[in-house]
Parts: sequence; structure tokens; C-alpha cells
Amino acid sequence: MGASAFTQRAHDALADPNLKTAIDRTTGTAETKRAAAVGAFPEFQAARARGAAIKDHVIANLDHYLVEFERNAQAAGAHVHWARDKAEAAEIVTRICKDADAKLVTRAKSMLGEEIGLPHALDDAGIERVETDLAEHIIQLAHERPSHIIWPAMHRTREDVATLFFKDHHPPPDADDPASMVASARRILREKFMSADVGISGANFLIADTGATCTVTNEGNAELSTTPPRVHIVTAGIEKLVPSTDHAMALLRLLVRSATGGEVTQYTTFHSGPKRPGDADGPEEMHIVLVDNGRSRMVGDEFRQMLRCIRCGACMNHCVVYRQIGGHAYGGTYPGPMGAVLTPVLDGLAQSRDLPHACTMNGRCEEVCPVQIPLKTLLKAWRVRSWDSQQEVGPLRMGLGLWGFAARRPRLYHFGTRLALPVMRLFGKGGWIRRMPFAGGWTDTRDLPKPAARSFMSQHANHGNEGPK
Amino acid sequence: MSARDDILAAVQKGLTQGQGGAVQRRNPDAIRAEAAQLLANLDEIRPDLAAGDPVDAFVAKCANPALGVTLDRVANWQALPRAVIAYLDQHDLPHRLSVSGDPRLDALTGIEAHQPCAPDEAAAISVADWGVAETGSVVIHSAPDQPILNAMLPRHWLVVVEEKKILPFLDDYATYAASRPRNAVLITGSSGTTDIEGFFVRGAHGPGFVHVLLVAG
Repeated sequence: MGASAFTQRAHDALADPNLKTAIDRTTGTAETKRAAAVGAFPEFQAARARGAAIKDHVIANLDHYLVEFERNAQAAGAHVHWARDKAEAAEIVTRICKDADAKLVTRAKSMLGEEIGLPHALDDAGIERVETDLAEHIIQLAHERPSHIIWPAMHRTREDVATLFFKDHHPPPDADDPASMVASARRILREKFMSADVGISGANFLIADTGATCTVTNEGNAELSTTPPRVHIVTAGIEKLVPSTDHAMALLRLLVRSATGGEVTQYTTFHSGPKRPGDADGPEEMHIVLVDNGRSRMVGDEFRQMLRCIRCGACMNHCVVYRQIGGHAYGGTYPGPMGAVLTPVLDGLAQSRDLPHACTMNGRCEEVCPVQIPLKTLLKAWRVRSWDSQQEVGPLRMGLGLWGFAARRPRLYHFGTRLALPVMRLFGKGGWIRRMPFAGGWTDTRDLPKPAARSFMSQHANHGNEGPK
Repeated sequence: MSARDDILAAVQKGLTQGQGGAVQRRNPDAIRAEAAQLLANLDEIRPDLAAGDPVDAFVAKCANPALGVTLDRVANWQALPRAVIAYLDQHDLPHRLSVSGDPRLDALTGIEAHQPCAPDEAAAISVADWGVAETGSVVIHSAPDQPILNAMLPRHWLVVVEEKKILPFLDDYATYAASRPRNAVLITGSSGTTDIEGFFVRGAHGPGFVHVLLVAG
């Protein structure tokens, strides 16, 4: 992804009114529901601080917890695999599927699965892959990637979904309202759940002292993906560890309120090893793939706090940039503020240097983050790295150099603004500038506020010493 | 080196030589003590119960329409069959159920019982191992007489919970996770999705109707 690729995608997204409608409908609801859930939980701020402390404790002792988790998962009969990077992780999963002679695999939504390229790897291996989360089912039919970590099909309106389902569902849905379309997906996917050879899930938490993996869903698709098949595979990032089930509960309260505005999801499931003797149901084999893919490097650099992330999506729901351009414009697996910090780790800064810059620094993401990740600070850290490694393009470096030169010389700066402001006012109409030379990058997709009749500096000068000391 | 060794070595190097400054390495006892300390004063980081008594709080939570559950209070196990039939009649369902295998459900007179749960099962009944007052959740642990699919496949899921098994908080349930069942499922209301425009639809993949039979005595 080069500079122009991101700019082009953002530009295309801004010009798509259908996308704006789709994003507004879901993020608006998410913001309202989260605010209500947090409002009804007076202990939220204390819980956030504790949540951050729990995650910091885990990361500071990550080697200890990884080994403890491995020991307990193995004691429960699970096979534990380790993968340095995404290629290794995808290779391990496809090998397990092939060893199980799998023809049909069901997947319960996992962003880590997307990160390691699992959909592609399974397709390339010739294994039929069925996405069972409703949103993932929608984007599988549309041959797309997720545009949000909680609502992967957020960019699709109900009209879009109806078009996809009427084309691909046999028989088609009874009508194009959400309830009929959900019923149709239930019908279509039910037979897949029951005939799958392997079920693949992610994990919201890995419980060190029991060796269990934990998934949370509202639809029940994780339980239906992991119970009937012969083999259950879990792929999880190494930062998902928590010391115990009790610690998971403390984080669960934060995760669900921040993600969907609920208190808990409809289904919170702890999976521990294969079917036991006499058990009524469950898989014969359980495999857990622990994935590093850049995380161990983050332990040692200034992005360590990003390993606190519990993937709730609140930062993107409240981001003014995400809400304008949507998830696909970011180009990586993870969009929004958390994605702008993570994507340079996963894909390299050269590929993604635009992302930390696509931020207004308004700090909404930090305010809502349930584990207090200093997202603004981390985004600035990427900007510094980008500058220091000379990745900014020539005109930008020159422009910033000029600005810096003027900003350090107040008289020159004020002279410049005194010249520029009256010219800008000439282009204004009704308080807004719709078009102006050299400002097309801004005014093509939105208006620019017309400068006030008098600048702040001139008003300030008139006030003299009246201001508070 | 194996991937395992590489990853553990990289983590250790990051912790001891990283830019963020070296993290103090501790022995397992000190780590456990710090982890326990992070769970001190739980009342400061969890919500209050909806009512003083856990059973009342559980009932109040189940009355929240967002959960999509119905609840019936049953005097004792002997009164259970009549309560089950009343629910089936109310929803025009035949007196036929997929029954989990819990021996306490053997005496469901007037019900045609079978196992296992079919993929298109209309209604099934299970006995929950616990209820959680904080959230209105019920908990099942997989076992020979506790099939997970019995709770996931039917359109209507009836679940019996004994009042004496209602725990106050999620943290109180966490203690029981130490028994390490293969599958422990906390179920809170009916299955649902908001994946199409954030619009809530009940009955996504799991049951669209959950009916809690809260047994006293």
C-alpha cells in the first residue's frame, strides 16, 4: 500500500454515499448503546484502570503465562502449536485440516484468522470454507474482507445484503427485512454446521490456570462451529492470555459494554480439550495455535501498551476518520485507530505510513478505550518513526520545513496569515468555502469553514491584558 | 530452534532489554500474588446486583426485554411437568421435547421425550448447573447428561434452574471453572445478531426463544 493507494481509497470512500449511510446506521447505534451501558455501570472508570493493570501484568509476565497455559491445555488433552508468523500459522492450520481429511470447514469469526490469511490459505488448499458469523457470511458471499472488527459487514446496507442473499440462497429469503434474511442464513448454515469436518474459532481469552480458550458470540455460531465437527482448531494471538477465569470476567465486563453495549454476550464459552469419555457431544481433537506475528517484538518496543487491546471496536465507532472513510480504506486487517497502530507492526511502516497520519488527534479513541491504551501517543510514535526514517514524501517535508521556519518567527507568521486570511474569505459563501485553488484535497469531498471576520490573534491583541493571568 | 523456543526467547528479550526499560522478572509465587492482588475489592469494579437478594436479582435481569427470555417460577420439581406443558401449549408446540438426559427430567409426565436434539428441533429442555444473578445468565457444563447441542439447536430452549444454584456474580461462577469441564457455556438470553445495520434480530443460529423455569425448594 503506497501513499497514493490509501489516499485513493479514502477519496473513493468519501465519494460513496451508500457507504456513509451504512457506516452511520451501525456506528450511531453502537455509540448510543455503549454510552447507555457505561452510564449504567458507575464502576466503569475503576474497572478500566483495573483492566489495563491486568493486561499489563500479563504482558510483563507473558513467558510465564504462555508456558502455564500450554501445560494446562495439554493436560486437558489439547495439542498446542506455536507459530512465529502468519505464514507458519496458516500452514499449521491447513496441515491439521488435511491430516483430518477435511472436506468442509466451518469458521467462527476471528480477526486473527483474517490477520494470518486463513480464508485464503484454506481456499488455496481446496478445502470448502463456510463462514458462520452472519456478517462474515455476508462478506464471504460478496468476496470481501471485514471492514470492522465487531461488525465485519458494516459497510453493507440491508439493501446490499438482500441482493446478495436473493442471488446465493437457495431457497431465497422470504422477504428483504433483516429478520427474514437472518432466518434464511440460519436455514442455509444449519446443514453446514452439522456436516463440517473441522471447526475453527479464535479466542477472546486464553485462561492460563485452566488451559481453556474463551469465545464470546451473540449468535451462537461459535458453539455450533466447534461442537459437531471431529476437530476443533483455535487460533489466538499470544497477548490473549489472562491468569484465570476470574480475570477474564473482569475484562469481559469491559469488552461487551464497549463493543455492543450489552452486559455480557448471549454466549460466553470456555473450551478445554477434546470430548471426555461418555460426553454427549464435542470434538475428538482440539488444537490450539499460538500466534506471535510481531507481538513479541511489541513487548520490547514503545508499542507494548497496544498488547492490552481486547478488540472491542469502540475506538473505531467513535473515530471521526473511520466514520467518514470506513474500514476498507485503511487497507489492513484492523481498521480505525487501533488498526492504525497495529497495521505498521504487521505489514511494515513503509506499506502503511499513511495510517498514523489519518488521524485528527481529537482523542475520542483514548477516552472510550476500555483498557486505557494511549492511542494518540502510539500514533504519534509512528509519525516520529516515519519522519526519522525519511519516509515522508519530498513536498511534505519541504512544506513542513517552511511551516516550521515561519512558526519559529512569530512576526513572519503573523504577516503570512494577515495576507492569507482575506484571500481565503474571498472564496467563502454562507460561512463555508466550497472550492479554492490548491485546496482541492479538502474541498473535493467537504467544505472548509470560512475564516472568521477577525482572526484570533487580532482579537487577542485588542483584548490586551484583560485575559486571566 | 523451534517456534516455541524462538517466541519465548523473543518475549524474554523484549522484557529484559526492550526500549521500554527492563521489566523486573519475578518468581511464580510473586506473579501469583500480584495476579490475586489485581482482583482485590471486586465491588469497586463490578456493577451492583439488580436487587439485594440474588434470586430476586436474577428474576429482575430476566425481565429485561433486551435479553429475550421468559421466566416462570415453579414451586418444586413435581410441579415442573405442568409448567413445561403450559409453555408448549402457549406456543402451540406439540408435547414433544429433546431432553438432555439429566435424570431429574425423567419424570416429565405427559411429554414425549427423545435424544439427541435434531438440527431442526422445535423445543428442547436442559437443566442448568448454575444461574448468575449479575447478568441473568445460566451456565451449563458439558457432561454425559449435558449435551451442548441440546441448548444450541432448538428453536425453543427450556432451561431449568434451581433457586439454590443462583450465584450472585460472574466472579462467583469463575470458582467453578476450576473443575475444568470440556465446555462451559454461559448463556444469557436468546441468540441474536445485529450484523445487518445494527438492527437486532432474535434467533440467529441458536434458540430464538429461551424459557427459564426457576425451581424453588
